[in-house]
Amino acid sequence: MEINVFQAALLGLFACLASMPGLGGTSIGNYTLGRPLVAGLVVGLILGDVPTGIIVGAAIQVVYIALVTPGGTVSADVRAACYMGIPLAMVAIHAAGLDPASTEASSLATALGATLGTLGAILFYGTATINLVWQGMGWKWLEKGDTHKLYLVDMVLPWISHIICSFIPTFLICLAGQGMVDTLLASLPMDGLAMKTLFAVGSLLPCVGIAILLKQVISKPTDFLTFFFGFTLAAVMGCNLIAASAIACFFALINFQISTMKLKLAQVGSGATLAASDDEEEEDI
Amino acid sequence: MAENTAAETGKKKVSKKALAKSFHNWYYGNLTCFSQEHMQTFGYLVSMLPIVEDLYDKKEDQQKALTTYSAFFNTEPQIGSMIVGVTVGLEEARANGDPIDDETINGIRAGLMGPLAGIGDSLIVGTLIPILLGIALGLAEGGSILGPIFYIVVWNLLAYFGMKLAYYRGYDLGGAAVEALVGPNAQALRDSIVMIGTMVIGAVAATWVSISTALELPGGGTLQGTLDGIYPKLLPLIFTVFCWWLMTKKKVSPIVTMLVLVVIAFVGALVGFFGAATIAAPTV
Repeated sequence: MEINVFQAALLGLFACLASMPGLGGTSIGNYTLGRPLVAGLVVGLILGDVPTGIIVGAAIQVVYIALVTPGGTVSADVRAACYMGIPLAMVAIHAAGLDPASTEASSLATALGATLGTLGAILFYGTATINLVWQGMGWKWLEKGDTHKLYLVDMVLPWISHIICSFIPTFLICLAGQGMVDTLLASLPMDGLAMKTLFAVGSLLPCVGIAILLKQVISKPTDFLTFFFGFTLAAVMGCNLIAASAIACFFALINFQISTMKLKLAQVGSGATLAASDDEEEEDI
Repeated sequence: MAENTAAETGKKKVSKKALAKSFHNWYYGNLTCFSQEHMQTFGYLVSMLPIVEDLYDKKEDQQKALTTYSAFFNTEPQIGSMIVGVTVGLEEARANGDPIDDETINGIRAGLMGPLAGIGDSLIVGTLIPILLGIALGLAEGGSILGPIFYIVVWNLLAYFGMKLAYYRGYDLGGAAVEALVGPNAQALRDSIVMIGTMVIGAVAATWVSISTALELPGGGTLQGTLDGIYPKLLPLIFTVFCWWLMTKKKVSPIVTMLVLVVIAFVGALVGFFGAATIAAPTV
C-alpha cells in the first residue's frame, strides 16, 4: 500500500476540517470527522481499503473515546491521530503482513495513532497561536466599524492557520512517513523485544481513554459499582453494547424515578414540618 | 425590515431570517477562529452580527451593540447555543428601550457559560458521544461501514436539532430556559443519564480493551487461564482502574500516564509477562 501525492493532499484537507478548532465547525468537524472511527471510513475511502480503515479507526477510537478539552487544554490532537495515525497504521499493517482483524494489527494501530496524536498536540497550540493574528485584525476592524470583516476573521482567515498547521504537516508526514514505517518494521523482528513492547503498549493504551472518561463521570466511590456493573454485563454475561445500553437505560429510569420521588418527599416533608410548627403556635395561643 | 415590524407592532422584533442566520453562524463558526486568549469570542460576534443588523438601522448603533459581545467567551458549544439565544432576547429588549446595559448582558453571559460548560462536557462529550461511539464500535465489527454511518447520522441529527432547540428556547424563554437545565429535577435527570454513560463505558472497556499475559505458571498452565477463572477480563479492569487512580488520585497527566504504560509494557515484555504470539484474540 502506497500513499500518493493526491491522496496525501486529500488527507491534509480533512485534517483542516477535523481539527479542534477545525474548519468543519465543532459538530461536523471535530465531533464527526475528528472521531477516529469516522476518520477510519474517510481514510479508507481515500486509500481504497475501507474495511482496514474502519478496523484501524475503531482501534484508535477506544483511546480517544472521551476527548474532552476542558478550558482548551488538550493532551491529544484529533487531526494527527486520525489523518496521520490511521493512514500510517494502515501502511504499517500492510507492510508487516498482518491480518487487519488481528489483535496485533489493532495494537500496532493504537500505538501509532496515540503516538502521533500525542505529538500532534503541538499542532493545536500552533493553530490557536496563529489565529491570534486574525483576531488582532478583527479587533481593529470592529473598532473601525467594518463589522462584516468579522466573517473573514472567524471563517476565512483561519484557513491560513490550517494550511500551515494541518495541511502541510499531514501532507508531509503521510508521504514521508510511509517509507519510515516500512524500513522500521522491516528492521524489527516480529517476536523481538521492540515489537513485543509495541504490541503491549497498543493493548494497554485504551485504558487511558477509558480512565479519562471515568475521571469525568465518577464523583463518589459507589459510582465505580455502576462501572463494574456495565463491565460485568459485557465481560461475563456476554452482552453487546446495544444490549448493555438497553439495560443501562432501564436502570437509569429506576434511578430517575427514585430521585424524583426523593425530591417530592423532601418537599412534602418540609411542608409537614411547617404545618406542625403552625399547629404548635396555635396551641400556644 | 426592522422599521416595518416596528411600525406594525410598535416594538422591534428580530426577523425569523436574522434568527436563522445567527443560529447557523453559531452552529458552524463557534470555534473556527479559536485562540487561547479569545476562545469562542469571534464565533459569538459573528452570530450576533445578523441580530444587531436587524435591530439597529444606524451603522454606529450596530457597532456599539456588537462591541458588547467582544468580552471573552467560552463554553461547551452545543448546549451553549442556549446562551446565544438568551442574549439575542436581551438585545431585542434593549433595542426596544429596556434599561439593559453592557454589564448586565456580559454578567449574564459570564454567569451562564461556566455552569453550561460543565453540563455540556459531562452530558454531551462525556456521555452522549461515548455511548454513540460505543454502539458504533459494535456495529463496525469486522470493518463494517454501518458503524461510522450510524454515528455520523445519529450524532449530527441530535447535534443540529438539539442546538437549534437550545438556541430558540434561550431566545423565547430567556433565563427560564436555563432553569430547566440546572434545577433539582434536571439534576436528577442528568445524574441518571450519566449513569447510563458510566455503565456503557464499562461495557466498552470490557469489549474493546484486550490485555492478556503470556506468562506460564511453574506447575503447568498459564497465568491467563487462572485469571480468567477468577474474573474474565481482569487485566483490562485492573489497568483501567490503575490509570484512573494515577490521573485522579496522583494528578498525573494523560500523557505521563501513557508513558508509564510504555514503561510497564517494556518491562512486561522483558520479563515475559507480555508476548507477541499469545495476545488473545478479541472476544466479541
